[in-house]
Parts: sequence; C-alpha cells; structure tokens
Amino acid sequence: METDEKGQLNYYLSSLSELGEVLIDADKINKIGSGVLRLTLGTIMASKGAIFLLKKGNEFSFLATQGIPKESNLSLFSNIIPKLEKFKNKQIDVFLEKELIKEDLKKQLKEIKVKILIPLFHDKHLLGLLCIGNKFMGQTFTGVDSKVLNIISNHLTKALYNNQLIKEVESKEKEVKLKLLELETLFDISLAISSVLDIKELTEEVLWRSVGILNASKGMLLFKNNHNPILKPIATFNWDDEKTLLSKNLKVFKEIKEKNRGIVLKTNDETPIQVKLKEKNLIITPLQAKGKTLGFMILCNKETRKGIEAFNPLDLDLLTALSNQAAVAIDNATLFKDVTKAKKFNESVLSSIATGVVTINRLGEVDSINKAGLKIMKTKKENVIGNHFMFLFEKDPSVIGLIEKAEKENKICSEINISFITSSQETVVNFSVSPRLGKNEEILGLVLAIEDVTDVSKVKNTFKRYVSKQVVDELLDDDAKLNLGGEEREVTVLFTDIRGFTSMSEKMKPEKVVSTLNEYFSLMIDIVFKYNGTLDKIIGDELMVVYGAPTSSKDDTERALKTAIDMQEEIKTFNKNRLKKKENPIYVGIGINRGLVVSGNIGSREMMDYTVIGDTVNLGARLCSAAGPNEIYVSDYVWENTKGLFNYKKLAPIKVKGKSKKIGIYKIKN
Amino acid sequence: MSDFSLEVKKEGSVVIIKTSGYLNNVGGEKISEVCYEEMEKGKNLFLLDLENSKVVNSIGVSILIEIIEKLQDVDGKLGYYNLAPIVEKTFNIMGLTKYSSVFYSEEEAIKGML
Repeated sequence: METDEKGQLNYYLSSLSELGEVLIDADKINKIGSGVLRLTLGTIMASKGAIFLLKKGNEFSFLATQGIPKESNLSLFSNIIPKLEKFKNKQIDVFLEKELIKEDLKKQLKEIKVKILIPLFHDKHLLGLLCIGNKFMGQTFTGVDSKVLNIISNHLTKALYNNQLIKEVESKEKEVKLKLLELETLFDISLAISSVLDIKELTEEVLWRSVGILNASKGMLLFKNNHNPILKPIATFNWDDEKTLLSKNLKVFKEIKEKNRGIVLKTNDETPIQVKLKEKNLIITPLQAKGKTLGFMILCNKETRKGIEAFNPLDLDLLTALSNQAAVAIDNATLFKDVTKAKKFNESVLSSIATGVVTINRLGEVDSINKAGLKIMKTKKENVIGNHFMFLFEKDPSVIGLIEKAEKENKICSEINISFITSSQETVVNFSVSPRLGKNEEILGLVLAIEDVTDVSKVKNTFKRYVSKQVVDELLDDDAKLNLGGEEREVTVLFTDIRGFTSMSEKMKPEKVVSTLNEYFSLMIDIVFKYNGTLDKIIGDELMVVYGAPTSSKDDTERALKTAIDMQEEIKTFNKNRLKKKENPIYVGIGINRGLVVSGNIGSREMMDYTVIGDTVNLGARLCSAAGPNEIYVSDYVWENTKGLFNYKKLAPIKVKGKSKKIGIYKIKN
Repeated sequence: MSDFSLEVKKEGSVVIIKTSGYLNNVGGEKISEVCYEEMEKGKNLFLLDLENSKVVNSIGVSILIEIIEKLQDVDGKLGYYNLAPIVEKTFNIMGLTKYSSVFYSEEEAIKGML
C-alpha cells in the first residue's frame, strides 16, 4: 500500500514535471491547451475534458477538447459568467453547486458529461474554463486529484494570461509596424516632393501608397479642370477611369472645399456620389496647396479579414496628411513642368531665330548664347559662357562701347551695319543691347541681339551700283519682287548717249577711254540716284534709266527731266575740267519717253536682269539718237504731262523706224 | 492596375506563383489557395514573383504570414523576387522578411530555396 501511494506520488510528480515541459516547449496556445488537457486527464484519470477560452462578447470557444464534441451546445455557459468570480479558481462540482448551476445548465453539462468546472481567473479577469468529466470506472476524485487540478489550473491560468499578453504585445507590435509603415509612407512622399517631378509618376506613387496603407480596395486622384466642371482622373488604381465622370459641382466636393476637410461616407449615408460610384464606403480628401484646391483623392472600401468596413476618423487623418503632402508635391511638379515648358519654348524660340542672342550677367560675364549667336561669332559655347564681354568683343571697340553705354544709361542702344571683327573682317551686323530687368526693375544684366547682315550688305552694295538705295530697300523688304516674270506698267525712260564718242575714242588710248567713261558714268549715275532712277543698263557710252519701275510715283517723269537737266549742267562742269587738262570735251544727247512697258526680272535664275521692254523704250532710244549735243528731246506724251513745269520748244515731227505716223517731239529750253 | 490574377509553374520541387495586380485580401486569398492545394500534394517550397504586383496592403501581408506559419509546420519555405521597392519596404517593416527570403532574380531565388 505504501508502495502504491509512493508510486502514485511519483506518477503525479512526473506529470507535474511534464506539465512544466509542455508549458515551456509549446510555442502556440493550441499546443499548450491540448498538452495540458491530455496531461490533466491522464494524471487524474478522467474520461474527458475541455478547455474553453473566453472571447470578446462573453462567448466561450474550444481551446482543446478530449471526448467532448466541439459542436456541443455551450449556450448557457455565458449566463454564469457574472457569478463566476465568486468561484475564482475553485473546483465547482456541477452536480452539487446548485446556486451557480441551475437545472437547465446542469442538463447541458450532463449531456456532455462534465463533472467539474474550474473558472480560470487572473486577478479579476476570467480567461477561460477548465472542464473535467467523470473519473474512469466510476471512481471518485481524491484529495490529491483536487490538489493536482489546483496546481494544473493555476499553471494553465498563467499560461493563458501569458498568451493573452503575448497576443496583446503582438497586436501592439503590429499596430506599431503599421504606424511605422504610415510614417515611412509619409516620409517617402515628402522625399518624392523633391525627387519626383513627373506628375504622372508622382500621382500614381501617391495613390498607390495611399490605397495600400489604408487597406482600400481601389482609389483615384481627380484633378480640377479650368475649362470644364468634370474632374479629370489623373491616376486610378483598380478603378475604371473611363466610366468615372464626376463634376466638381457635386455637393460633397463643394462641402469638402468649403470646410477644408475630407469626409468619410458610410453605407447608410447614400449620398449622390456613392450612388454615382456604386460604392458604399468612401473616404474623400482635398488636395490643397497654397490655399488652392487642386483636386481630390477618393479611396473606396476598407478591407479587413472579415470583409469590407467603413473608414474611420484615424483613416481620415492619415489620408489628409498624405493628401496634403501629395498636393505640395503635385504643385511642385506642375510648377516644374510649366517652368520647363516655358524654358524649352524660350530655348526653342532662341535657337530657331536667326538673330544671335547673348545674355550677360551683372558682372559682365556671358551666361547664355543661342545657336545663331555662336554661328555669327563663329565660335563654340565653351569659349563664350563665363567669358567677360570685354574679352569676348576685344576686337570690336564699337561693340564694347555700345554695351557700356547701354549699361551706364540703362536703355536700349543699337547700331546698324557695323563691322564685326570678332566674327571676321567681312562680317557686318546690326547690334542691339537691352538692359535685362528684374521684378523690381533692377538690372540683372544685358541682352545682346546680333543680326548678321553681311549678305544683305553685299547685295545692297552690289545692287546699289544699279539702282538707288530706296529701290534696293524696297526689293529687299519684299522678296516677291525678285520673282521671275513681268507686269505691264507705265514708266518714264531716259536715254543718254555721248555724241561722236566712237570716233573720239579711236584716237584715245584704251585705258583713257575706260577712265573717261568711268568718270563720266560716275557723275551721271550719281545724278540718276539723286532722283531715284533705276539704272537699267550701260551699253558702251549709252545709259538707260527707268523711272517708275520697280517702284512708281507720281513724279516719275518730272524726276527724269530733272535728271536730264542736271546731267547736261554737270557735263558742262565736267568739260571745263577736261579743257583745263587739255582734253576734248564730250557732248551728250538725251531722249525721254513715257508709256506702257513690260517690266520684270528677265533672264534665268542664275543671270537675271531687271529691265523694261516695249515700244516706249524703243521710242526713248530713238529720241536720244535724234537729240543733238547738249540737247534733251522728249515725246509729245512727256511734254503733255510736264508742259507746266518746264520750258519746251516744239520741233518738227520725226519719222521713226517701225512707226507709220511721224512722232511729235519737243526740246527742253535752257 | 487591373484585377488580381496569377500563373503557377513548377521548377523541380519549387512552386513559382507569378502574380499580377493588388496583393490585398483577394490577392492574398488566391495565393493561399494555390499554396494550400500544393501543400496537400506534398509541396513545401513556394516562390512569389511579384514583378506585376506593385501594391500590397496589410491584409495581403497577414495572409502571407499565415502561409509562412503553415509552411513552418511542414518545414517549408516562402520566398519572393522581383519586388517593387515599396513592397520590399512593407515586407521588411511588417516583419515578413524575418521568416521568408527576398531574392533579386528567379535563378537566385530557386537556388536559394533548395
């Protein structure tokens, strides 16, 4: 007997030792529960048992069971919870404790064959219940069984309490991790403000992170459109943006804007936007930067493991913080986009214009130059940027003077047709210097505009040999006038011819002939240009001048006559000088006619002459042939138009080749 | 980004699940369905190719944690590759990477799982 008691004691001790191992080794509460229950029932030789955990809502759930079906009816257990504290960690005999266990509960417990109930209390908190069935073979529980149950239930209570603590710690840890994730998300978005400048990339980043961090099922970012009340979805996530047409005039958006605060919409709210979006749980926040509402962020359906639920005020606070950060980032990105666009536009304009543009800072150093500027200066960007204008234009003191003048007088200074040695000996430019002013009219530097007019200058110089400056300018102003083709117009033609020059030149040396003609033509052409005549051609010693082409004016004929009179006067002076040099005088006859001609650029693209042709021209030449030395003959049409201005003498009509009738002619009196 | 979908392929004993879309409740459940089906067939090495899943939420993460716990019971492993920086950061913060591995290519991932 002694041996039996000793053996039983050893058995109990080994069971308790095993209990320690179960509690230490098992890492999960389910394993602890099943281990403790197995050990308890085995130690006290009970047929069945279960451990119940008290859940939220005062309901019990199975932690472990042995012989008691999990589907057993435990509905009446909850009724005794308020009274259990009185029986804190005591062993309640289901059949003897009548105050606590009423008949109906007793019946339920009898069905599942539970004999002993032990409420597992930690301090005042009920954690669960340990239920023990009858002992094997109808034996009764002994005092040692009771002590063992006490020890085991105490340890089980501690284990459950520890588990609850661990759960709470894990739950807190998860909360902390989620908070950390929220902070990281906010931090990442604040980083994005300075690093991501692409609006699409930025808005997607913000939206995706917001959806993820708030466990939303989908979301979208809407931007206001200046010309349209429909909000534009700029980024969407899991949302079909094509079907989404939302007006900024919806009441909910107006309210958000007015109150400057987001909103949470729940199932029962049934607002128009919920109906329109066919979604019940929404959270909407404004995107506000610099006091302006740029748009809205809408997230939909907060996910949980149990399904969808409404967003809460903490979600609203978080999304508001994300939206505020995002709005600043988007505003920055938009600003950057606008500035870049403006910069590109300016660069594109500057690079496409033919005028060289150079900007100089307050220190006189070049800080930008466009393509045309580099081309005109025949240099590379690296040779110019950062260089002082004094060095850059050292070969052109006039340019330096102009820059200094503009800087000193704070006004636009320009020069045209100036030689630009910085580029080359031949380069001619129009140079303009303008002060670059800041917001408060302070000088930030200077802008130099350099227009290369070398080619124009060459053309002008060449052209000027044939036509007056006025005609050159007019032609250069309108390229169309240089087209091949012609037009009928009324002009006055003037012909001059040196009388007897052929026979005279035969007695002269060739170089003397050329120098005499050059001297003569130089004087005559000056007079032609004085009266804006167009030098049509020089044929030998003959000169053909047109008035009224390519440009015409009312006094074409008057100017032709004045030209002729001045020419004859100039020849007189010319001859006096020749006589002094003991050279033979020359005498010129001049003929003037007016009438319709065909004028235009006649020839090929490579060799083109502006001239006039027609009977009017031929008659002008005949009148010149008819005129004697120092004489000016005009047709009756010219006389008719100018008889009030000049003194004429009517001459006998002459027969002209190609004309059946004689032509009336007049001679200018001295 | 459209609805969640996945493709499953096997490289030896490793089951590779390539996902596409939001790794949320729906996405996580779809992944767990595949994993549990394959675990019943005796598979215990799983790789997630998350190249086309740029967004993950905490529900998706908690489902992955459940999968990891179940795999631990059968000495299995879960690994990931092609993670977007946001997803990798989320996994790190939520503690997933303590119990599962992140790789940077499929080849490296398969080698790392064996």
